[in-house]
Amino acid sequence: MRILSVDDSAATRHFIKKAIDVLGFEFLEAGDGKQGLQILQRENGKVDLILLDRHMPEMDGMEMLEALKANEKYKDIPVTMVTVELERDEIHKAIDRGAKNYLIKPFSQENLIGKIMESLDISL
Amino acid sequence: MITIDEFRLIRDYVEKHCGIHLSDDKTYLVETRLTTMMFEQGCNTFGDLYNRAVLDKTHTLRDKIIEAITTNETFWFRDIHPFSILTELVLKQYADEIAAGKRNKIRFWCCACSTGQEPYSIAMTFLEFIRHYPRLKPENIEILATDISSTVLFLGKLGRYDNLAITRGLGEEYRDRYFVQNNKIWTISDEVKKMVRFQKLNLQESFNHLGKQDIIFCRNILIYFSLEFKQDILKRIAALLRPGGYLFLGASESIIMYTQEYEMQRHAMGLYYQVK
Repeated sequence: MRILSVDDSAATRHFIKKAIDVLGFEFLEAGDGKQGLQILQRENGKVDLILLDRHMPEMDGMEMLEALKANEKYKDIPVTMVTVELERDEIHKAIDRGAKNYLIKPFSQENLIGKIMESLDISL
Repeated sequence: MITIDEFRLIRDYVEKHCGIHLSDDKTYLVETRLTTMMFEQGCNTFGDLYNRAVLDKTHTLRDKIIEAITTNETFWFRDIHPFSILTELVLKQYADEIAAGKRNKIRFWCCACSTGQEPYSIAMTFLEFIRHYPRLKPENIEILATDISSTVLFLGKLGRYDNLAITRGLGEEYRDRYFVQNNKIWTISDEVKKMVRFQKLNLQESFNHLGKQDIIFCRNILIYFSLEFKQDILKRIAALLRPGGYLFLGASESIIMYTQEYEMQRHAMGLYYQVK
């Protein structure tokens, strides 16, 4: 499995990488939506899940989500939108626009892994 | 901020569905663990979250609430004494019975296994034991590891631990013997992994289908249960144990005031219980 974390916080990406390492999945990272799309292009769309931060400079999470859903090659990659509390409208908007799941900061490693399992339809 | 009425609603709901009793000092725990979920679900209050869970016929939200509330603090060889008792007493007894042809298997059940540290510690204890008792084979033991949380079971089944998790209670000798290191991740060896079977189980539901067990680890979990549920579960565990079977609890737990079905025993610095 290959998971792309798109987040402008290096600390959050580092935290996510540690959880991904425990799962034994491959970790890709980008600091904003533009970089995220570049990585997808470079990897020829071969990513199983995108953990996408809502708020980022350059291209934010919602813009990248829209770009993904408008692209035939990327539209089926599941997206988990990462937001902060008190952004319920944003969560609903992301789901309406095609995000499969959402994760609210701050999150624990178990919380994150639970969401990854849900997003990838992994069961025991 | 959770209100006292909301806390009571959720407390009773959690107790009804998984038996875990939350005392009033757990208000903060409920609030911190369910706040994210409340927002995720688009709820304005904890009361709304409760109502949504009650109305959810798929029980998905109920399971999420239970998963968020249950704690998953776990260590390798936690409290050490149960593992010394296994080596010095219990495994020796069963090994003699196997050698005498009185039995073929030793059946363990870890009833709240979290991310696998406890069942894997039992498996390593057994492997160490048979180094000095070569007539026994890994096939002579069955370790069933259950938990209510799918996430922790998934992690346990993977058997991969980071640098922090690997250090909590595990000595270097065992680490180097039973784990394979790859960068910052330590993976439990196949030899140990294949001895443990993980399965989802809510202790509130019947567990008769698991079949008779010789040794049950029910450690650091009874503390979360109400008096009635403690009594109920201890009764059902007693019925599942073979005559003379062993029950191990957490270091700070005692059951003598809840049940008459076990005999408390002492070995060196540790305690264990045997079904009468």
